[in-house]
Parts: sequence; structure tokens; C-alpha cells
Amino acid sequence: MVWSCKFFSSPITQYTRKQTEPIMRIPPPLLFPLSLLLLLLLLLLPTSHSSSSSNGEDLIDQTCKLTPFYDLCQSSLRSSPSSSSSDLRGLAQIMAGSVLDGANRTLGQIQQLLDRSSPADPAADQPLAYCAELYIPVVKYSLPQAIDALSKGRLGFAVYGITDTMNEAGDCNKKISSGDGSSSPVSDGNMLVMDLAAVALSIIKVLQKSL
Amino acid sequence: MDDATSKSFDHPYTVLGEDPSLVIPPAESRQRPTKVYFWILTSTVFLLSLAGLIVRENPNRAENSIPAAGTAIPESSQDNVRFLPVGEAEGVSAKSYPSTRGRLSFNWTAADFAWQRTSYHFQPEKNWMNDPDGPLFHLGWYHLFYQYNPDSAIWGNITWGHAVSRDMIHWLYLPLAMVPDHWYDIDGVWTGSATILPNGTIIVLYTGDTNEAVQVQNLAYPSNLSDPLLLDWVKYSDNPVITPPTGIETDEFRDPTTAWTGPNGTWYVLVGSRLNTTIGVALVYETLDFKNYTLLDHPLHTVDGTGMWECIDFYPISTNSSVGLDNSATGPEVKHVLKASLDNLKLDYYAIGTYDEGNVTWTPDDPEMDVGIGLQVDYGRYYASKTFYDQNKGRRILWGWVNETDADYDDLAKGWASVQTIPRVVTYDSLTGTNILQWPVEEIESLRLNSTEFEDVFVEAGSLVPLDIGNATQLDISVEFEIESTQALEESMLGETESQLECSVADNRTTLGPFGLAVLADESLSELTPIFFRLAKSNGSLKTLFCVDETRSSKATEVFKEIYGTVVPVLDGEKFTMRILVDHSIVESFAQAGRRVITSRVYPTEAIFDKAKLFLFNNATDLNVTAAIKIWQMNSADIHPFPLY
Repeated sequence: MVWSCKFFSSPITQYTRKQTEPIMRIPPPLLFPLSLLLLLLLLLLPTSHSSSSSNGEDLIDQTCKLTPFYDLCQSSLRSSPSSSSSDLRGLAQIMAGSVLDGANRTLGQIQQLLDRSSPADPAADQPLAYCAELYIPVVKYSLPQAIDALSKGRLGFAVYGITDTMNEAGDCNKKISSGDGSSSPVSDGNMLVMDLAAVALSIIKVLQKSL
Repeated sequence: MDDATSKSFDHPYTVLGEDPSLVIPPAESRQRPTKVYFWILTSTVFLLSLAGLIVRENPNRAENSIPAAGTAIPESSQDNVRFLPVGEAEGVSAKSYPSTRGRLSFNWTAADFAWQRTSYHFQPEKNWMNDPDGPLFHLGWYHLFYQYNPDSAIWGNITWGHAVSRDMIHWLYLPLAMVPDHWYDIDGVWTGSATILPNGTIIVLYTGDTNEAVQVQNLAYPSNLSDPLLLDWVKYSDNPVITPPTGIETDEFRDPTTAWTGPNGTWYVLVGSRLNTTIGVALVYETLDFKNYTLLDHPLHTVDGTGMWECIDFYPISTNSSVGLDNSATGPEVKHVLKASLDNLKLDYYAIGTYDEGNVTWTPDDPEMDVGIGLQVDYGRYYASKTFYDQNKGRRILWGWVNETDADYDDLAKGWASVQTIPRVVTYDSLTGTNILQWPVEEIESLRLNSTEFEDVFVEAGSLVPLDIGNATQLDISVEFEIESTQALEESMLGETESQLECSVADNRTTLGPFGLAVLADESLSELTPIFFRLAKSNGSLKTLFCVDETRSSKATEVFKEIYGTVVPVLDGEKFTMRILVDHSIVESFAQAGRRVITSRVYPTEAIFDKAKLFLFNNATDLNVTAAIKIWQMNSADIHPFPLY
């Protein structure tokens, strides 16, 4: 279709050009200063358009738009003071740090519930104990290693650790949802960790594509 | 099975059916009718021969088929000249079965070969693997290194391959850890072990085969200990750290163990060898810094008549708990296991005994069951096993190399050879007090999909029960058999003569056996692999044999089809139990909760894909059994390269 447009437009425009006067005639003495002005405008243009390198806010906004949870992404990134001056890799690291915070908090909740539980009913603890076993290697190894991997450019390794985190949080949720619902702060924690992980993964995907 | 070897393999052999003499000659002229008749004649001959090849059931197929495949030989010149198994000339144990050479290869298709690849056992994507090396746990990751040939599906050019896993089941391949690049290992980076020092430092000692084929021990360590993947390794600048001492043959000195502590900050390491060619020996080296070593004037232990001890392993085991112990543990409730891979027999033997810290010697609990003359680690196709202490979960974990039992030209055709067993937890059997127990790591349960359970299945003498479970090539089976009391049996057998205590084939019906499961069996039982118990009277009492009969596992003639078996203690009140892991061409069978284990390799031609079935059977003539069985379908472990970037 474009082909045919090009095909027909050229002879027609050629036709019309022949029949009209030029739109504007610049008097010769003004030519030099006007071209200088044009050059100046052209030089100024790039700076007003390049938000990616100097304006962090816009980068956060652009990046978060590419994630499944825009608001969560915004609030997590903004809560870190360094985010406004971070590049894409820095944002990925901040996000991974948020996942670690979320996982630490959830593990803390699990451990609190375990501490408070009555010793008379150990069976009720079983799902929580199972969840603790899932979260401990996540906060000890998977997430710290993922964050470190981001700084070293091992993006695939970072994806592995964060995906692992997402799976463990999901696993924990399946385990406690078969209970009586009294673990719902843990369930909220699991959902948050999964959502944060999903955001972090999509940021890393953008980073991988940009390399 | 997405990682099927549908890629091109090396084809040093012409696959049956590609005889060049059958290429139809081009018609030279279209005018003369005689040319047309010639064309018709040739096509007919071609088509008839093709039809003849397709009819596979013909038992005389070998004679009728095109001779090319039977006499084809590998391109490698060393194989042209000799019929020694691969490896022997270089001074390691044989890495292939020589006697299958010359036998015609079965007409395997690419799909057949692809089916043979395991779904949840560790194996590289392609090429040759043997001994497991330096297993360890570090910063959340289990590491496995392994003898690996990056260039071919037969042994040679040996490097240390590397893979990691969070759970010892889902493995991720990493780049090679060490390659032969110094004079002291230019002929091969051979087997070695890792030691984790109290401060967290990791050191590896491994055997290097030098440019003059001398076996030396070298030191290596990770270049960056904080790298959880331990990608890069550094070889000590002053290698080798140990060279063969006087009186020891320079090509019978290898496989350094994990070190353990002695008094005053000393460390001890064992290196295997032989004395006067027939006495297996564990030589002891003492070191403070892992760089300078002194040979102790006496070995840890020797056993006459056992020959060269390869892949020595020495570790403590708790006698009053199932908790694993670090290599340096000692105490009143601690015994030590000494294990060696016997070069002469290609079998792994072990014995439980007592370690004398003061003398640095070890004595077996029962000298008649000493290393090399008593118990085997595994009674099947199994070698070069090695344990490590898993400090993550406080377990002693055992790895074992499982070679192929098909011909090495099959391996070249399919492009790969060897798998590792599923790692096993090792504990002391406090009920018998005479053996270890081995059990697949519990992490394998994460592969379980759906299960089918059958209870109270009465299997009377001389019957076969098909188990309808769907796919039967990736299974985790637990079965227990109940029979009438052994006391009653013994009484009823008082008059019977003592029988030869041997497994024999499953078809051999004796009074009290065999009964068990037939795995990888097709509907018509033209192929099957029975795994069974056979009771027999011996020395006045009933003994139980635990067996795997491969003789009818495959119609292919070039594959090895063994009968593996051993007596297994069954204590009063115990039922006869088996756990079986079926994973395509590997079957791991555990009797009495791991009291005896048999690993088997089979290559069925019919009982594959959806044609493979599972049966309960009882071939005894005078014994009924009742079985309770639970069968899990197993998922793939999805072993693939680590996507690092």
C-alpha cells in the first residue's frame, strides 16, 4: 500500500510544485543570521527531549509503565532517595531491594506467629514452619545474590533468584490458604512479595533488552 | 524430553539401510528400452531390500542385513588397532565394555536414542561423563563437578564439568571449571575432592595426569569465594603438591580424598594405590597448609588381593542418629566408613569400622567383610562413588557414576554417555549394625506429580497383575509385599534341600520366588525388566535375595544384559519393601529402606514411550503374596544451562 502511494504521489507532487510559487522567499542579507538561529534551536531541542539521561522522574514513570503494577512500582522506587538519579540498572537494584524488604517483613511475621502459637497444637504451625523454611534461603541467598548479580551484570542470574523468590512466596501461600485464614497477614505478605518480584522481573527484562 | 538429541550426532558408522551399493544409478539415456528395464529391476531390488530391513522381528536379521553396520568401526585410530576398553592404556580403569565390540548395533532411530536420555537424573547435554568430583554446598548452592570430555561421547580429554543446583535435583550447567592446561594435568584433569576449611575456605585436591603420564596430586581453589557460583578456579602456582613416592607405580596413584583434621592443626588426606600389584592401599598424607605434604610411614589400611584402590572415600557416620557428620567428627558413637572402587572388578566396596585417631589407622568391624571382600555400595552398574558432608541440612550425601551398558559405538551415535544417580542420603543401619542405608534425597519428591495407589493386591503364585497407571517411563514407586510368616515357611521347608543362593532369571520359578515388579515392560512382555525378591533356604534358614534381571530388558543384542543381585537382610516382622526410581534408561532399586541398592541401565526397543507398562508378578510355585503399592508420575528436572546474563 505504501508502495503504491509513493508511486503515485511523486509525479503528482512534482506536478503541483511546478505549478505553485515557492512558499517563502528569504532575502539574502537575512539568510546568515536566520541559519544561525535555526542551528541554535536545533542544539537546544535534544536537551528538552532527553528525559532518559538527566530527568530521573520520567525514567521512573516510563519504567513503571512497563511493569504489571504501576502504582506499586512508583511507590517502591520513590521511597528510595537515590531513585531519582538512578539509571535503569539502579532502578532494578532498588526494586530488588524492595523485594528483599518485603520478604524479610513476611518472614518476620511468620516467625512472630510461630513464637506466639500455643505449644498444644503443633499441627497448626506446620504450614507456617513450612513457609519459614521457604523464606529463609530466599532472604539469606536468593535475593542478596540477585541484587549482587545485578551490580555485576549477571542479569540472568538475577532473574533466577527473583523468580525463585516469587515461586517460594506462591508456594507458601498455597500452603497456608488450606488453613483457617488466621495467617492472613502472611498471605498479604506473600502477595506483596510476588507483586514486587513481578515488577522487579519486568524491569530487568527491559534492562536485558536495552543491552 | 525436549532436550532430545535431535541434533546431528557423529555417525562414524553407517546406519543400517544406507548401503551405498543400493544407490540407484542414474539413467544415462532415455531412448533405449533396456535402460528402462534396468531401472525397474534396480528399483524393485531396492524396495525389496528396504522392506526386508523394516521387518525387524526376523531373528535372522543379522545375517540378512547389510554388512556395513556390523563391520563398521570408529574413526578414532586407537580403537582401530586395539580391543582394550577405553581408558586402560592411559592408566585409569576401563570406561567401556570391550566385549560388546563386534556385535551388530540395533537399528536405533533418533527417537529411540532420545527416549534413552533420562528426565530427572543428572547428565550433561552431550558427550562423555564419568566420576563425580568435589561435591560441595556453598552460599545456597549445591555444586557438582564431574569428569567430562567436551569433545566426544567416549572417555578422553578429561576436564572438570560443573553444574549447580539449589536442591540437588534441578541442575543448571555452568562453564567448565578446570581444563588440562598445565604440564601437570595436560593429559587429564582427573578425579578429586573438595575440603571446606573451618574459616569457609574451599580447597580442591585432584589428580593430574602429566605430560609423561605420571599421576600427581594438584591443589586448586576458587578465584572468588564470594561468588556463589564458583565459576572461576585457580591452580596453585607450585603444582603438583604430591608426586608418587618411591615404591609406588607412577600410574597407580590417584583420587585424593576430602581432608579431615588431626591433632595440632594437622590435616590428613588419602590417596589410593596398590602394593605388589595385588594389595589395595590407602596412603595417608599429612599437611598443615595443603601445599606441603608428608607421607605417613604406614597406610590407613590395606587389603590383600583387592588390587588398585581408585576413588577412595573415608567418612564418619553416627551410630545413634541419622544426622550426617563432618569429615573430622569423632566420638564414641561414631564409626568410620572406608570405601574403594576396585579397578580389577569395576565395583565399589565399603566396610564399616573404627578409626584410631592416635595411630591414624582404621580397622573393619568384621575383617571377613573388609573393603573389597565384603559389601558393595551398589550391586548394579555403579562406580567411582563419592560422599560429601552437606552442612546445609546436616546430611552425608552420596554420588555415584552410572556408565552406559550399550556399546560405545551406540554412545558415539547418540552423542552422549553416562548419568549420575540421584544423590542419596547415607546413614547407619542401626537395626542390622552391619551396613549403611542409602535413600534418595527427599528433594526428589518435588518432582512428584500425580500418584496411583493399590492396596491389598493379592498376587497368587504364578500370576501377573498389570498396573494401569498411564505413563510408565518416569516413576517413583514404593511397594511392600507381605507373605505368610517366615517361621511357617521355614517349618514347611524343613524337608527341602538347600537351594543354590542365586537370583537366576525371573522366569526361573522356585518355591518361594521370584515376586516383584516388572518395569519397562511392553504389553506382550516381549521386553521387560523384573525387579524381585527370591526367598531360598540356605544354611538352615530362609534367606532373601534382591535382584534385577536385565536378560529380557531389550531385543538389542549389543547391549549388556546382566542379572544383578545380593542377599538382603529382612528382619523379624519386616515386610519386603522396594523403592524404585524409573527414569527411561536408568532404574534405581532400593530394598528394605536402602539396605541394599541396585542401579541398572536398560535399552528397550519396544517398551518405550507409551508402550512401556508396569506389572506386579509372582512367579513362585508355592507362595502367595499381598502387595501394597504407590506409584508417582515424575516430572522432568528440566536440567539446562544457567542463563547467567
